[in-house]
Amino acid sequence: MADKKEVQRLTDIAYEMRTKLIDLCGAYEGSVHIGGDLSMTDLLVGLFHHGLNLDPDDFKNPERDRFILSKGHGAVCMYIAMCLRGFFDYDEIVRTYGQLDSAFGMHPCKVHLPMLECSSGSLGQGLPMAVGMAISAKQKKQGHRVVCMMGDGETCEGSIWEAALTASSYKLGNLVGIIDRNKQMMCSHLDEDLIFQDPYADKWKAFGWNVIEIDGHDMNAIVDALDNLPPASSYRPTAIVAHTIKGKGVSFMERQVGWHAGKLNEEDYKAARESLAKNYGKEG
Amino acid sequence: MAGSFNFGEWISARSVIGSTLYEIGKENDKLFVCTPDVGMSLIEFKEAFPDRYVDVGIAEQDCIGVAAGLALEGNIPVVMGMLPFLSMRACEQVRTAVAYQNLPVRIIGTGGGLTSGGGSTHNAMEDLAILKSMVNMTVLSIGDPNMIRDILKLSMDYEGPMYIRLAQGKKDRQLYEPGTKEFSIGGSVTAREGKDITIIAHGEMVGESLDVAEEAAKDGIDVRVIDMYTIKPFDEAAVKKAVDETGKIIVWEDHLMSGGLASSIADYFVDNDIRPEKFKRFGIPQVYAGFGDGEAQRKKYGYAAKDILAAVKEMCK
Repeated sequence: MADKKEVQRLTDIAYEMRTKLIDLCGAYEGSVHIGGDLSMTDLLVGLFHHGLNLDPDDFKNPERDRFILSKGHGAVCMYIAMCLRGFFDYDEIVRTYGQLDSAFGMHPCKVHLPMLECSSGSLGQGLPMAVGMAISAKQKKQGHRVVCMMGDGETCEGSIWEAALTASSYKLGNLVGIIDRNKQMMCSHLDEDLIFQDPYADKWKAFGWNVIEIDGHDMNAIVDALDNLPPASSYRPTAIVAHTIKGKGVSFMERQVGWHAGKLNEEDYKAARESLAKNYGKEG
Repeated sequence: MAGSFNFGEWISARSVIGSTLYEIGKENDKLFVCTPDVGMSLIEFKEAFPDRYVDVGIAEQDCIGVAAGLALEGNIPVVMGMLPFLSMRACEQVRTAVAYQNLPVRIIGTGGGLTSGGGSTHNAMEDLAILKSMVNMTVLSIGDPNMIRDILKLSMDYEGPMYIRLAQGKKDRQLYEPGTKEFSIGGSVTAREGKDITIIAHGEMVGESLDVAEEAAKDGIDVRVIDMYTIKPFDEAAVKKAVDETGKIIVWEDHLMSGGLASSIADYFVDNDIRPEKFKRFGIPQVYAGFGDGEAQRKKYGYAAKDILAAVKEMCK
């Protein structure tokens, strides 16, 4: 069982992350992928603040774990998770996000941010790169893990399944795929409009992966899953299918296709912060 | 191969790739070889370095992505495959995973132009246009099979991504005795000196250009042949010199007439206000070609040796 204090610490970070996401969304003139950001917030807190072996002061250490955000449109969520870990300055993100010459844009760019493992944003491309990184680690007999976060909508892309086959063929026990299974895409609900993905976890199993299903908002479950991964030296890649809710934490955004990406006016912003506080029991 | 060189003799470019990668692999442990099931010439490498050999099966998009991941970890991956699929099926992975991140992935393969014999599905006739358009990408097209050895060795220390185009790769004509020419990424070779007209060619068309030049010499026409094996960035100085010294320029390539080397050279002329006395291009017209060997198709579509010879004579009247 996960340590109670650690879970509370991570839950507090998740609340702070969500408030910062809402703040940025309120401050930015354009649209932010707020729905998917909120659905994977708890997972990224679990990774960047508990599971991943990372050091912001030594971000090129060869022994670090590698994290790839294959669902690159969730960049803001990753920036904030990383900034709360000491990689970036939050004020700089808010001040420059999406502006000319900013390092922080809608999709992560390694050219501007060398502490990222790769650039991403074109869906379906992260897992193949993660596979290449995991093959390299294995060949060099390095002990770190390569963790790749995907959206379930993204796993409609064929290249994900090509890479899934390569990962099991090459016995990449050092590879972990996490799927933010919020069952929504930009315009559709996967469980209503596009039911072809089910049975979802079975597909990963059939592709030779070790599969763990969790509630992606239960910090206990997230910590347990990350603490109990098979060793990197094992022979099967692991898929964590994390069942999540798009827009989680802001009641009027939850499960709403309209909040895949959006912009908050003053009224929305206030309501979002209030809803968040209420859902975390932080009213008043 | 070195030691068995005979001008005009045909050897397999694929086997040169295989033996060269094995040679490099012995000295450079950063070299990985990746392929989407086109590994027939890579057996030596695979057996010697199984942990640096990645065959993902028939999955080009995955193969390029895996290569990008290997490059992100400081390795130098060479992807060997069939060019139509590497340049088109995996086009976005090449552009975004490789070129955008400016990674040292080397993409090499066969099937350039109409040489595959497999019909339009297997012809890479748009590849140079596609690859040229990618920022950071260096593009080569090699005719002489022995040149591949030098270029692959040079590529190990070259920054950024690279695309190396070959023709069918099974039987390629030896043009230069190994060690007698100095190749560089960005360079060209004047395969034949001449003062009346210049044919600029790449790939299989270089050898044929030399034949055309011999034929034209019978009529007293002195043809210069430039092997423009680097398509991007191409050797502008050699082109400028040819314009200054021979005035008349023909570009001959096994690629769509628009979008290939001829287009790059035409752009160069326009951008720099260079006006050759005469300029003509030969290549594939707007068709999806059928079956048959490369030469038969070049005859059908009006860019065979006889067509170029006729143009040389006409332009030098």
